[in-house]
Amino acid sequence: MKKILSLLLASCMAFSLVACGGEKQQNLGDGQSTGTNVKNELVIGSTSDLNADMMSGWTNISTNKQIKSLINENGASTVVFTKDGTFQVNPSVTEKLETIENEDGTKTFKVTLVDGLKWSDGSSITAKDYVFAALLTNSPEFGALDADNFSGQDYVGFEEFNAGETKTFKGVNLIDEKTFSFTAKADKFPFYYEITLASASPYPMSVIAPEVEITDDGSGATLSDNFTVELLQKTINDPKTGYRYNPQVTSGPYKFVSFDLSSNQAVLEINENFCGTYDGVKPSIQKLIFKKVTDATQMDELKAGSVGLIAGVSGGTAINSGLDLVDEGVAAYSSYPRAGYGKIIFACNHGPTQFQAVRQAIAYCIDRDEFAKEYSGGFAKVVDGYYGLSQWEYKDNKDAIADKLTHYTLNLEKAEQLLVEDGWTLNKDGKEFVKGTDDVRYKKVDGQLMPLVIEWANTPNNPVSDLISRTLPDSMAQIGMKLNSTTVEFGVLIQNVQQAGGEQKYHMFNLATGFAPQSAVWYYYNKDLKTYGGAYNQAFIADDQLHNIAQEMRAVKSGDNETWSKKWLELEIRWNELVPELPLYSDEYHEFYTPNLKNYTPDGLWSTEKAIVYASMS
Amino acid sequence: MLRYIAKRLVYIVFVFFVVSILMFGIYKSVPGDPVAMQLDGKATSMTPEQYQQLYDQTKERLGLDKPVYVQYLVWITDMMQGNFGISSIHRVPVIKLVAEPMKNTILLNVVSLVLVFLITIPLGIATAVRKGSKFDTGVQIGTIVGYSMPSFVIALIAIVIFAVKFPLLPISGVNTAGLTGSSWVMFKDKMYHMALPLIVMTIASLGSITRYVRAAMIEALSMDYIRTARAKGLREKVVIYSHAFRNALIPVVTIITAWFVSIFSGSVVIETIFLWNGMGKILLDSLLKQDFAVVLAMQMFYVILTLAGNLLMDIAYGFVDPRVKLD
Repeated sequence: MKKILSLLLASCMAFSLVACGGEKQQNLGDGQSTGTNVKNELVIGSTSDLNADMMSGWTNISTNKQIKSLINENGASTVVFTKDGTFQVNPSVTEKLETIENEDGTKTFKVTLVDGLKWSDGSSITAKDYVFAALLTNSPEFGALDADNFSGQDYVGFEEFNAGETKTFKGVNLIDEKTFSFTAKADKFPFYYEITLASASPYPMSVIAPEVEITDDGSGATLSDNFTVELLQKTINDPKTGYRYNPQVTSGPYKFVSFDLSSNQAVLEINENFCGTYDGVKPSIQKLIFKKVTDATQMDELKAGSVGLIAGVSGGTAINSGLDLVDEGVAAYSSYPRAGYGKIIFACNHGPTQFQAVRQAIAYCIDRDEFAKEYSGGFAKVVDGYYGLSQWEYKDNKDAIADKLTHYTLNLEKAEQLLVEDGWTLNKDGKEFVKGTDDVRYKKVDGQLMPLVIEWANTPNNPVSDLISRTLPDSMAQIGMKLNSTTVEFGVLIQNVQQAGGEQKYHMFNLATGFAPQSAVWYYYNKDLKTYGGAYNQAFIADDQLHNIAQEMRAVKSGDNETWSKKWLELEIRWNELVPELPLYSDEYHEFYTPNLKNYTPDGLWSTEKAIVYASMS
Repeated sequence: MLRYIAKRLVYIVFVFFVVSILMFGIYKSVPGDPVAMQLDGKATSMTPEQYQQLYDQTKERLGLDKPVYVQYLVWITDMMQGNFGISSIHRVPVIKLVAEPMKNTILLNVVSLVLVFLITIPLGIATAVRKGSKFDTGVQIGTIVGYSMPSFVIALIAIVIFAVKFPLLPISGVNTAGLTGSSWVMFKDKMYHMALPLIVMTIASLGSITRYVRAAMIEALSMDYIRTARAKGLREKVVIYSHAFRNALIPVVTIITAWFVSIFSGSVVIETIFLWNGMGKILLDSLLKQDFAVVLAMQMFYVILTLAGNLLMDIAYGFVDPRVKLD
């Protein structure tokens, strides 16, 4: 027995040693080359998960979005988002874009492609591939794969096509090998971001629907009858060969090589046939590898060389660890203001927070500069409106923003004055509130006494919630407000923010927000709460002036940046008065990377997947 | 025996259905909107009409537009037919989602289990035989320290020692990023990456099981039949391994069975720190994101494993202890 046990133990240890020893040698070869960039390759570490989904339509994980963008979406797109934060026609793809205003108010965007566009396998990209992509991603067959299939909702004929009533998409036309057009519905205009309606990316029809035909007699592009769910199950959804998991023919700056299901790592390589970015740049880093890292050990990984780039680092502890590596000379870094912020969001349609004065008073109960400093270790700034510091509109109006927007900070006298002026002067018996004797202020609302008690929902293990708990309740108590805290899971928080179902209990939440390149403020601040309250207008604010400015912004003529910028400032001023949200901190994101990485210049809206195309390894 | 097993199998089926109703009811009563959760953040990139359409589609796809009892019937019928549903977050079949993490978890747990038992059983026996000696005291102190220390502390210490100060082992992951090669190369690479989590899991488990085996052995060694065996002049090895250890096995069987079930369930702490793509992390993420198809499928799998494990344990008792009769 003892001999057998000893033998087993010895075998097990020997096996482990062989594995460790052998791999140590391996790591110094292949492993080190991937991590410390002896070769022309870069390992990108991300704290967010990644999965096998390499095609749009299903999941929305941020690292996967980066990969999809690198292999397809940012490739042969007719319209692109540029580094200066605007949308423009992509001259590497689009030879000509004609906009035709039709008599019925619809608008047709006619795109002529440049010559010589190629897929990663060397075959030609034609107008048919763009039309196919539009038909595929709006078809009921695509929806039957559990994919989102309504990106073409802005175009004429979407409803009939999407419902499967016809195989013809009326608003999509295939004109010739180089030319196609999209016709957008009349009610979409005027629209500041009009150019985005001319945006299209191709999918390789020869791979996804090889036997299928697209015809067009002028009344819309039509798919042949052999375009079926069964076909797509095989060409898209097959776990090994399907385009969703193994897209071998792509148009972006990089092509897909592999995804390791066991370790959740993706490998991309340069697409030699990439047409170039909008400003004519082609990537130079041969191989990109995406892997997950943890907050706790990400800097150790960078130091060890198992990771070459860590993007979007925030918080004092992590940033200082990274800066230590920079001091040691083993890392370099870039930093930029985040396109978003952490915030308190108020429910502006019920309870005490429906009153502007109460929201302003709460804003005067917290020293946001100190809060941001403490939360981020000094690596965050405070904004006073619905903007990020990297937005061009902010840069355009920087002085006016500093001049015209109130910078709410700790001022209990002012907070108290606002409450008194707003009528919060009673106690629980309806008599005059006496400071020092009564705890909570009351106000008569619709004949009833409303207590100045703020119900705040927050999530567990959240340092922002902890910091709010330490700072806000005491200040509020000093002026006759009470803050009740309830900790709920994120799903419950979202349900309450969006006021889904039942009686609404909470008046205040803490969340974070990120700005999309196309900021649809006409939805976010639309006073029609029945339609827009929730997923869009999360603060449930219904203010005529804010609503009107937002709608006017939508109607600004595309390209009229001056008017847009002026309206944007008006919106920010009104928003700042209303305080539907209270921005607490806007991180200064840091990206740490191997000193071998050159020309890497990300910013808040120019994220890793865009900046990396311009970078090189020395 | 067969009649006993048949009775227990009927009992397992009954318990399975009762538990399935309870589990389903519990998860359905969890507050929150799984649809809004799944679509969080998507609204900013689409129009309200698109969002509403997506919301309705998603609700229908997840079957949440039907009454709860219908949802249960659909779910349990699908489960019985081997269809464990679609992950609402990853939008792939649950089986596909958990296949690789399950392999990783089983690999790590089996190797860890073998190592732990190979170390703890001899160590437990040795300390019991040398009870009160310096060796025993030293092991007792070591096991108390190991037993008291949380696994994440052991993990972070191990990372600092083996990966940062002395970079012998990788910090995290299942494979070297971007490594390609033969199956043997890939296997060795995986073993290399598994070394650190394995060391931590093994160290974290040593204390409790060593002490368990020691206690069982001390009790067995104090029995009259041991004195009788020694009085008969049997060799000490025979006394310890044939007489004492066989009797000490009865309580050890209990923990071996518990460990059998744990082979299939991952460790959230170990997997999170070492980024070992296993079941613990999948389950936790699914629970937090209200991906109930995954959580329910895995919970029911663990229910079956536990029930089967209990049956196996009872049968094993019958083998190791002749006094136990199964009928």
